[in-house]
Amino acid sequence: MERAFAVELKIPDNEAYTAMRALQRLGVAVARVQRADILIFSGDESDERLGASIERDERLFNPNKHRLESLSAVHPRAGEVWIEAIDAPRSIPMRRLVGWRLYDHAGKPLGSDDLDAACARLLCNSAIERAIR
Amino acid sequence: MLCFSSNSRREPSLRDLKVAELDDKALREQADTLGLALRIDELRSIAQRLGRAPSFVELYAFDAQWSEHCSYKSSRALLGRLPTSGPDVVLGPAEDAGILHLGEHEGERYGIVIAHESHNHPSQVVPFEGAATGIGGIVRDVLCMGAEVVAVADPLRFGSVDSGHEHQRAVARGVVDGIAAYGNAIGVPNLAGDCYFDGDFDDNVLVNVVALGLVKESEIVHSRVPRHGENFVLLLVGKATDASGFGGASFSSVALDAQEAQSNKGAVQVPDPFLKNVIMRASYRVFSLLRERGIEAGFKDLGAGGIMGCSAELCSAGGFGAEVDLDSVNVALDRLLPEVIAVGETQERLLWALPEEIVEEVERIYNEEFSLPQVAQNARAVRIGRATAAQRYQLRHLGEIVMDVPIDFLTGSVRDTLPVEEPKAPSMRREQDLLCDRTLDDLFHAILAHRDVCSRAPLYRHYDAVVRGRTVIPRGEADAGVMAPIRGSRLAFALSVDGNPRIGRLDPQRAAEHAVYESIRNVVAVGAEPIGLTDCLNYGSPRDARQYGELVAGVDGLARAARGFGLAYVSGNVSLYNGAPSGHAIPASPIVACLGRLTDLSRCVTLPLKEVGSHLYLVGETQRALGGSVLASILALADETVPEIDIDRIVAEHRFVLAAASEGLLRSAHDISGGGLFVTLAEMSFGCLADRRAPIGIDLDGFAGWSAAGAFESAFGESGGIVVEVADRDIERFEELAGALESVREIGTTIAEPLLAFEDEAWEIADLHRSWSRPLEELFP
Amino acid sequence: MKARVAVLVFPGTNSEEETRDLLVDCGADARIVHWSEAASLAYYDAFVLPGGFAYEDRIRAGAIAAHDAMLDAVIEGAQAGKFVMGICNGAQILLEAGLAPGTGEIRRPTAAFTHNAQGHFICERVLLRRTVAATRCAIAAALPEHLLIPAWAAHAQGRLAAAPAHLDELERDGFIVFRYADAAGATDAHLAPQGSAHGAAALTNREGNVLAIMPHPERDAWNFNHLDRREGSDPLAPSGGSVLFKSFVTALERM
Repeated sequence: MERAFAVELKIPDNEAYTAMRALQRLGVAVARVQRADILIFSGDESDERLGASIERDERLFNPNKHRLESLSAVHPRAGEVWIEAIDAPRSIPMRRLVGWRLYDHAGKPLGSDDLDAACARLLCNSAIERAIR
Repeated sequence: MLCFSSNSRREPSLRDLKVAELDDKALREQADTLGLALRIDELRSIAQRLGRAPSFVELYAFDAQWSEHCSYKSSRALLGRLPTSGPDVVLGPAEDAGILHLGEHEGERYGIVIAHESHNHPSQVVPFEGAATGIGGIVRDVLCMGAEVVAVADPLRFGSVDSGHEHQRAVARGVVDGIAAYGNAIGVPNLAGDCYFDGDFDDNVLVNVVALGLVKESEIVHSRVPRHGENFVLLLVGKATDASGFGGASFSSVALDAQEAQSNKGAVQVPDPFLKNVIMRASYRVFSLLRERGIEAGFKDLGAGGIMGCSAELCSAGGFGAEVDLDSVNVALDRLLPEVIAVGETQERLLWALPEEIVEEVERIYNEEFSLPQVAQNARAVRIGRATAAQRYQLRHLGEIVMDVPIDFLTGSVRDTLPVEEPKAPSMRREQDLLCDRTLDDLFHAILAHRDVCSRAPLYRHYDAVVRGRTVIPRGEADAGVMAPIRGSRLAFALSVDGNPRIGRLDPQRAAEHAVYESIRNVVAVGAEPIGLTDCLNYGSPRDARQYGELVAGVDGLARAARGFGLAYVSGNVSLYNGAPSGHAIPASPIVACLGRLTDLSRCVTLPLKEVGSHLYLVGETQRALGGSVLASILALADETVPEIDIDRIVAEHRFVLAAASEGLLRSAHDISGGGLFVTLAEMSFGCLADRRAPIGIDLDGFAGWSAAGAFESAFGESGGIVVEVADRDIERFEELAGALESVREIGTTIAEPLLAFEDEAWEIADLHRSWSRPLEELFP
Repeated sequence: MKARVAVLVFPGTNSEEETRDLLVDCGADARIVHWSEAASLAYYDAFVLPGGFAYEDRIRAGAIAAHDAMLDAVIEGAQAGKFVMGICNGAQILLEAGLAPGTGEIRRPTAAFTHNAQGHFICERVLLRRTVAATRCAIAAALPEHLLIPAWAAHAQGRLAAAPAHLDELERDGFIVFRYADAAGATDAHLAPQGSAHGAAALTNREGNVLAIMPHPERDAWNFNHLDRREGSDPLAPSGGSVLFKSFVTALERM
């Protein structure tokens, strides 16, 4: 069984800001960008124990900078894409991905076509990464 | 817990502390609730001088300005004992950084700006950000002298990183990652450093940092408003002010406990090396603009005390007061409290004092040409106030005056007089040879593999050592890092940073003397003439008479050694309250940096052995004293004395080594430090491997019987000295130069076989290298 | 007349000065061009993208810079046959821009210099050897056969990665201009300190006028950078890695 967590910055995210500006220059109708580390675990540990182990790991989580969210599904939501390195090691019990969540000018999750364009033109280098939608 | 932003706007006048109406107990409670570290007597003296209840903004301002970190109140009187002037001193320790004279090139005099800081407490709490902002801060100290930043160095003291010490291991890795992430991104090479692992740093690591800059001496910018600077505009440059780093100055002035460390995370600043990279380059452009126009300006880094501390010091140093409008500050969050805007320590900010006529152009450089607002959200250059003839420090917020105090009262020196307990000097002296049932072979391998001796490459290969393309000797290839900072010139400088905590634990005064000696020795070993020093005094609590006594002894040691070697301190830092919550302090840890000068870099000497058939000489004396040595640590020897430093003899030795280097007589050189002579020799042979050559071996045929100090002391003692390689064709001239110097002895020759041969032993260099090269790989993979 | 070479600076670039200096010492009229001066780029005969962390490697190393206005001029120039050399971060940008290996569409990368196998930044001396015919890449054409070029690997993302079939194509068609070598000149893949595929240190394009090289030859490029290997008596004279820049400038002058 797989479980997913998102580790998000509490402090201003310069990378998300840069991504938004670059996407806007490329003509993608995006008004807000959020970014998170997505951690996917397989195994039988409970959510509570997994969450606690993430919070204890000083390389994954710093309470001053991050907030931790347990995701209800191991799958991106609408307006969201997860990027994973194709040759990332799969043997360890944790996968680490980068999640992007894009919103349009009405504050709604970005539509599918625009999200495809954002992936193809900037967020995913398909030579080395796969985009999970 | 403090509130960083106010949801309902309260009347500024209501936000004050009625000091006069409260008894001591109530006052302390109120001050604690506000998170103020100010003492009762300090609070009362503020209220008395102002003649009214101080506002919250004023309280936080004094709290920062009178903290140990800003005021040096426990150490300022002591620091007066250090020599600070000399022929090569261009600027002593009065501003953000000191300056030493490097030399002349094409009719211009060039200086090296040098600053030395600690970021110990932040690095313990949030290792990555703490270490990164340590680099970020010191780089600003150097930049604001009008200099181009050319190098950094990092002395590090970590806790025990044995398996099971997961937190200590995470801290060590986080610190190294933070230094790498910041230094590499801004493009400043990491030229030198040292690293020790010791359980006494388990709760309080030391992360010191040294930065160097290059400046033409005619173009130095000072950290003060110039004499004619009345009404000069205060122009704030950099990152938008946020709530990070509120409480930083007083945070680094209190001892840490684990819970506090958690809650203190709010005080740690967020680094942005990308923005800093752009600010540095934009500032270089501003320097040339000012130069072209012949305009004198003031420039200062925002560090402890934030906008308030920086603007107050910049103006008062020039004899002015200041008016600052907090509403004009570019902020990252709405509704920040005025005290957060005033004293918060958001990173990546600097403050200019400029005449009106140039302000617009400077704003254009930062905001348009280098487009700061596009580089980071709301980063920019913005006018925030002016220097005034009135000797007041005034802050406005939402149209009201929230701070109005005499500027000299705010920035003037506060001093504490503290009880001192003199450390007991270890007096035992061993007359007999050391008895030990371990074999020479066993000990040699154990010492080579010791974490304080083994190869540092797994650590420093995380750092960019060669960006800017001017590195002559990167870390690991000689005893000091060497750089040729001026295009087209043979002038070079050498840098080494040193301090042995094992000596600090035994003998605080001698620890300081050895830190000075070792840093000088390392610089001499590359053929550079030492020209100046900086120091960082890392100690426990000044409120503990014994720990304060260690600081006093350390300052005396630094003073004695520097005077003996004829050198001055041009910059320094004091970091107190280092220790565990139990009150157990760190070992006395004076850390010294020495800067050396090479007028012709082609005379620089490196560490790897160069040819077969050379003669190896030891320049130095061996003493029957193993205190502070790695051998003593491995054998758990107590009661050993620390080697004495015979400065007059050593000065003569160094003069000789430099003369031999300048005549090109030294093929290679390496000092004797951690692990002793055998480690020095092994490392000179390992150097060939790093150079992709077959290792040259050593036959210690001249070694037996020359030292009266005993076999273990001769092989593994750490009394200092330098080993040099002299080609067979040069030995006549070399010995002629040595003249009557008695402490120069031939100890062996270099051989083609990859062996280190001594009496009945013949170690394979490859075997020794295996023990030495790997121990840190598991920590820093 | 000297060849005019633009050394491009993006926000976050950090190796522009030594790159410019070495080009000047090798005979070029090299100038630093800043991101707010993109309009002036058409004036230059060739472009060099130096090392650093353009846009702080946000999203991926080189990803944002590949879309910068400065790259419009570089892409146009490369397609017209001008020389383009990217070093370290500059190489990453050229791959993201699709100029090297240049087998796909512009700004649709087919390969990347990505995270090192050890997962962090490394800084160490390396040796490079050209492993294709001199005619394959004009920029490297003047280098003697079998010459070992000293350089510094100084990167966190220097491992060539792509689909295996594409890597085979790059190998077969001579796109891998330089590989990491040992002192004897061997170029086994395991000599790449970061695990780069096929031991690759540099890629060219099909036309051979673009070079994306990960290690820094310009950091071991004067005698003073490596005193123990000094070639001649002047410590300020170019040596070592400068041969690649010399080759670049020589080929440029012959165009």
